[in-house]
Amino acid sequence: MNVIEIKSLTKIYNSSEVQVKAVNGIDINVKEGEFTAVVGPSGSGKTTFLNMLGGLDKPTSGEVKIGGVDIWSLTSRQLIDFRMNNIGFVFQSYNLIPVLTAGENVEFIMQLQGKPKKERAQRTKELLEAVGIGDRINSRPSKLSGGQQQRVAVARALASKPEFILADEPTANLDSKATTSLLELMSNMNKKYNTTFIFATHDQRVMDKARRIITIEDGKILKDEYFNRD
Amino acid sequence: MLNYVIIAWRNLWRNPRRTLITSASVFFGVFFAIMMTSIQKGSFENMIENMARFYSGYIQIQEKEFMNTPGVNNSFELSPEYKTVINNNQSVTSSTKRVETFALASNGENSYPSFIIGIEPDKEDLKSGLSEHLIKGSYINTNSVNLMVGHVLAENLNIDTGDSLILLGQGYHGVTAAGIYEVQGIFDFPLPALNKQIIYMDIANAQEFASIQNRITSNIIMVESTDNIEEVINELKQVNDKDTNVYTWQELMPELLNLIEGKESSSAMVKTLLFMIIGFGVWATIMMMMHERKRELGVMIAIGFQKSKLLLLVLIESALIGIIGVVSGLIISFPVFYYLFHNPIVVTGKMAETYESMGFEAKIAFSINPEIFYNPAIIVLVIFMAVSLYQVFFIAGLNVVKSLKS
Repeated sequence: MNVIEIKSLTKIYNSSEVQVKAVNGIDINVKEGEFTAVVGPSGSGKTTFLNMLGGLDKPTSGEVKIGGVDIWSLTSRQLIDFRMNNIGFVFQSYNLIPVLTAGENVEFIMQLQGKPKKERAQRTKELLEAVGIGDRINSRPSKLSGGQQQRVAVARALASKPEFILADEPTANLDSKATTSLLELMSNMNKKYNTTFIFATHDQRVMDKARRIITIEDGKILKDEYFNRD
Repeated sequence: MLNYVIIAWRNLWRNPRRTLITSASVFFGVFFAIMMTSIQKGSFENMIENMARFYSGYIQIQEKEFMNTPGVNNSFELSPEYKTVINNNQSVTSSTKRVETFALASNGENSYPSFIIGIEPDKEDLKSGLSEHLIKGSYINTNSVNLMVGHVLAENLNIDTGDSLILLGQGYHGVTAAGIYEVQGIFDFPLPALNKQIIYMDIANAQEFASIQNRITSNIIMVESTDNIEEVINELKQVNDKDTNVYTWQELMPELLNLIEGKESSSAMVKTLLFMIIGFGVWATIMMMMHERKRELGVMIAIGFQKSKLLLLVLIESALIGIIGVVSGLIISFPVFYYLFHNPIVVTGKMAETYESMGFEAKIAFSINPEIFYNPAIIVLVIFMAVSLYQVFFIAGLNVVKSLKS
């Protein structure tokens, strides 16, 4: 079953002298439970592609359907709510809310969703234990290492039970040990919850774990390969 | 909502130094604004009270021409209707008759112009505590034929208690008013201008001096508080007496009112400047808070935080800064100025002379009128509302992708 359906997705940046086609008519589908890496050199358009996919950057033309909903036909308020309920984000710089504890960061999104307190507390505990930092539930981000912060970010992304998780260079700021451990974690989460993961990455270690690799160059899909990692 | 307040509160203390400095600027702004207004209002209230107590009263009934042409020719007899209103109104604390006229006062060698006030000694003392201001001699009794003289006039005329003073003026309808009187007391008023020219005598004595029999030139009414003036005036104006008018202290002392209004305008300018400086300081802080968290705000929108909720969060943050400053300003200033209200600062030396030369009592009086305290709070609220417009535009214009790249 397709979670994401993308048709003729195009993004053109108009600078004063030249038109830049950052994404140039991409057509692609992503199925539930995929563990996909979007790769390509700097400036290839992978981040722009991910931003449009995540409802953050409006395409010049084309369609992004998530769970059958054309997200770019929604109003900006509807789109924010849609992101909250359907898309999880993991950023390169973790981007946790610094004044909230690890637990509160995870719980925060469920609070926005209006989930009951008991359910929030239970899921927060479960997720933090699943990402291996159940004992740091009351620690603020500044007291956590980079790897630990990224684990909290993964737990936060999973908290809203999204259709899929977008991770933009999630390992770029981590050392190799933390990277291996995080990838193992995300792979386990993918298997445990059947959550779809889409990464934008340069990291070979991420590519080695991905079961599908989409290579983008000059805004177009150059290669779309599937791998059996089992 | 509580969660927003908790997050906002924690956000404030991410940079405690900046929060404290900004709140301190609000605190000092509130404190100094309260101090300036308290001193100014205190001085004016003190001056008004002194003028009302010792001279004009809060309300006066006069013959209708007396205001433009003061003199015994424009005297009147207080009607029984007025007396009924005065006696029945609970807000009236005292009512006393007066005869006011001018005369030349002479000791035989020197003469000075003087302002003679015929009073009901007991009632006047009750109203103004006149006897407490005697520095020499004794207070005159009802039906006394003696005088009490301001100490500056006494010094100018080189007279003392027990000495005789000659008064020469004009009585009712051109009759010569003349007499020789014994000085029974010398007083020192908190209003220096009065010390130079006032002579008090019993009202019957003054009526005889001016040949006006039972007529008076004014009836002075004191009320419990200045807030009661309007109510009493309205009742007095119901009395159908075409020959008299009823005046407030503002109408009786327009120059004092002008002085107060002038001083208040200049003080308002200083306070405006003070609050403008605070306003720009607060604005700078809010700008920094917004810009340095641009990325974080972008992340919050990306993960599902509506802009309206984000705006509420940042507005709570700035409101908390204002509340810390205002509340601490009020908590610290109230006891300070409450103490100073009951214990005014007495000015001495050269400064006291300067005060007196300007017609002020040589003391720094303070006021604790509630508006002194809530006005700065309202101004700070307005400042924060104005600054919050910046936050509204900032959040409304926030581009998530650009914020995430910042």
